[in-house]
Amino acid sequence: MATAPLLAARGVSKSFFGNPVLRDVSIALQPGRVHALLGENGAGKSTLINLLSGALRPDGGAIEVDGRPVWRMTPAYAQQAGIAVVQQELSLTASLSIAENIGLGAYPRRFGLLDYPELAVRARAACDLVGLREPLSVPVGHLSLGRRQMVEIAKALYRRPRVLILDEPTSSLSATETKVLTELLERLRGEGIAILYISHRLNEVMALCQHVTILKDGACTADRSLEGTDAGGLVRLMVGRDPGDLFPQWQASVSTANAISVRNFSAGLMRDVDLDIRTGEVLGIGGLVGQGQEDLLLGLYGAIPARTASATINGASSLPSGVPKANALGLAYVPADRKREGLHLIHSIITNMMLPAFARLPALKLRSRRAERETARGLAAQLGIKGDLDRPAQALSGGNQQKVALAKWMPHHPLALLLNDPTRGVDVETKREIYMMLRNFAAAGKAVVLLSSDTPELVHLCDRVAVVREGHIVAMLERGALSEEAIVSAAMGAEQRQVAA
Amino acid sequence: MSTVGSSRQAGALYWPVQLRRNVGVRGLFAVVMAFLVAYGFLFPGLFTASGFAKFTQSWFPLALVAMAQAILMLTGGISLAIGAMVSLGAVIAATTMTGPLGVAGGATAVALTGVGIGGATGFIVVKLRLPAIVVTLAGSFIIGGAALLILPRPGGAIPEWLSDLLAGNTPAAFVLLVLIVLLWKLYLATPLGLSLYAAGENPVGAYRSGVPVDGARVAAYAISGLLCTGAGLFVAAQTGSGDPIIGTAFTLNSIAAAVLGGIGFLGGQGTMRGALAGSLLLSLMISVMFFLGFTPVAQYVAQGLIIIGAVAIPQFRKVQR
Repeated sequence: MATAPLLAARGVSKSFFGNPVLRDVSIALQPGRVHALLGENGAGKSTLINLLSGALRPDGGAIEVDGRPVWRMTPAYAQQAGIAVVQQELSLTASLSIAENIGLGAYPRRFGLLDYPELAVRARAACDLVGLREPLSVPVGHLSLGRRQMVEIAKALYRRPRVLILDEPTSSLSATETKVLTELLERLRGEGIAILYISHRLNEVMALCQHVTILKDGACTADRSLEGTDAGGLVRLMVGRDPGDLFPQWQASVSTANAISVRNFSAGLMRDVDLDIRTGEVLGIGGLVGQGQEDLLLGLYGAIPARTASATINGASSLPSGVPKANALGLAYVPADRKREGLHLIHSIITNMMLPAFARLPALKLRSRRAERETARGLAAQLGIKGDLDRPAQALSGGNQQKVALAKWMPHHPLALLLNDPTRGVDVETKREIYMMLRNFAAAGKAVVLLSSDTPELVHLCDRVAVVREGHIVAMLERGALSEEAIVSAAMGAEQRQVAA
Repeated sequence: MSTVGSSRQAGALYWPVQLRRNVGVRGLFAVVMAFLVAYGFLFPGLFTASGFAKFTQSWFPLALVAMAQAILMLTGGISLAIGAMVSLGAVIAATTMTGPLGVAGGATAVALTGVGIGGATGFIVVKLRLPAIVVTLAGSFIIGGAALLILPRPGGAIPEWLSDLLAGNTPAAFVLLVLIVLLWKLYLATPLGLSLYAAGENPVGAYRSGVPVDGARVAAYAISGLLCTGAGLFVAAQTGSGDPIIGTAFTLNSIAAAVLGGIGFLGGQGTMRGALAGSLLLSLMISVMFFLGFTPVAQYVAQGLIIIGAVAIPQFRKVQR
């Protein structure tokens, strides 16, 4: 190629605490091209982005801007060079307004003061690009997660980047927002901007990108045009296996007995829900982000106040009044935010696994370290968690952290599992293992409630899917009627309500 | 007159942003107003010139230290050296102003000390990544010790005309406070000032956005130090002399005022107008209880209960929602 890439990494390496995370990786971002960066969690994608944006410095190799090596890359320099990053973790400040967040770090000034009129004009322009209609003065803390993600993207566009790096931008976006973003990226590409796009959603990648770099265990396994490849081929390159068995074979294991049954159930955003969850089924909960799905799970789990006309939970005739009560009734909940709610990151893997057990032991009984260690080893073997269990949980990759968050409930043989987006940000291989586990739980006669933002997994894994919109279950789709189109159209209210069976 | 046009446009963003910041402190403002009315009934002299002057003078130092504490808490820090800094400011003022340096030289010395020690504290906390609570605790011993070295027992003097100007029958304290608040608004309208919120709430995100996080935090410590020694100067003018331990009570009162004003401990939460209202409320509470004839011990107990209540009520409302 004749033109120099706008931004490139040449043979970069990086280690953390002696663990090599990237080894001799090269990537070149060309103008007018959407470049996909794929890889499982822990493959080194985020580290590579941090190197490209100057947040980290490489141990070896070089970062090049316009073909010239840059020795001291910093976020400020990257910004000057026209490199903007949309991080996976949001970089927003809740108490500042949308406009103040968008301009943060690059405010227009007049006489040394922040130029509010100019900021308003430029922030409005950036918001219009991503379809944000909220007033610019609204504090970001008042927005939903999906809207915050759009602010984050507007913030990157405000800097008029030549290189735009997006780290899983769609993981918390609704279908509409994703569509807006896709069209926007197409247009930016046409304007000659180089785009690096990281996503776990392969269909998005196939539709949007022209070139792909694949990382596996910190090394580059492919750097090629996307033309002539299919999603299956990409997954093979990422995991070195065939993707056909991502979802386990679906087998009916549902019984007619109800594990959980509620009438006129209200909690948080959810209003007047009638729901029966049967033993031996995987019940999916779908819908756009933030319609009250989480409140449904938390309400059933006794973690937030809930009201109901009648309830039967594993034989008891009332909702659990609190989490210990819910655990005693055989309910277990795995939160979506595993870093904050699911795990205690600085504590060892063993401690994390044993936490629910601590809650059940008599408060002043002496602990048996040996028994704990044996239980933990058993769990680790059962779930395929590798390595030293005395390491802090934060040393694990996202997928393995999720396994620990699941594993800690296993010794208590829960009758019903309430899972809040258990595969968000989890790599393909771990996803497959988690899917397998969920079907096995169902086959063993447990009730599994799977709240998910990933529509394919609802389609392929669930016996039934309840679609939630604005605090109500607007459709209950049976196995036979399950399709991505059916779920999305119900979620967006595009179709007439289907009657729950 | 293009400035008129553009400032009207600015209203399209600047004022709505300011209005939204009021939302969190509306309840507090209402309570402050209620106390103000109660105080006016108990002490009708409040609405005379000298009554107003006396009242603002009793509030002024607390308002300054509340601001000093609030700035740090907004960056996610805290200071336990506020009281010691006030004492140091007071003794420096009392030992220099009647000497060869004169009033201007003494005031400059007070200001430089505040900015210098504040900046140095900030440098240690921010650049060496040490916990603020430990550094400022240690700092309170050092600074308090320095104050005692300069003036081992109460003494020194402040020129009488300065005492009369600041703490006499004039609204000087109120005018100064208005001026300081305006300067703060101006600072918050600079990129560095506004970055304070981002640096406090989400330092990693702010750094990645190109915000000079360390600079914003060190600047906050320096400003905080300046406010503290300035409060010290005022206290010295009020008493007419320097006292090396006069500031001690301000450390905890500054935290109490900031917390009353809705400043969060985690950084980036709260507003300066809240902190000021908090300090006014604290000041009013003390005065009202005094006029109601509370014994000093009962005052302390009531003060503590009110602070817990003030923090708890918004929490309860959040739970109910």
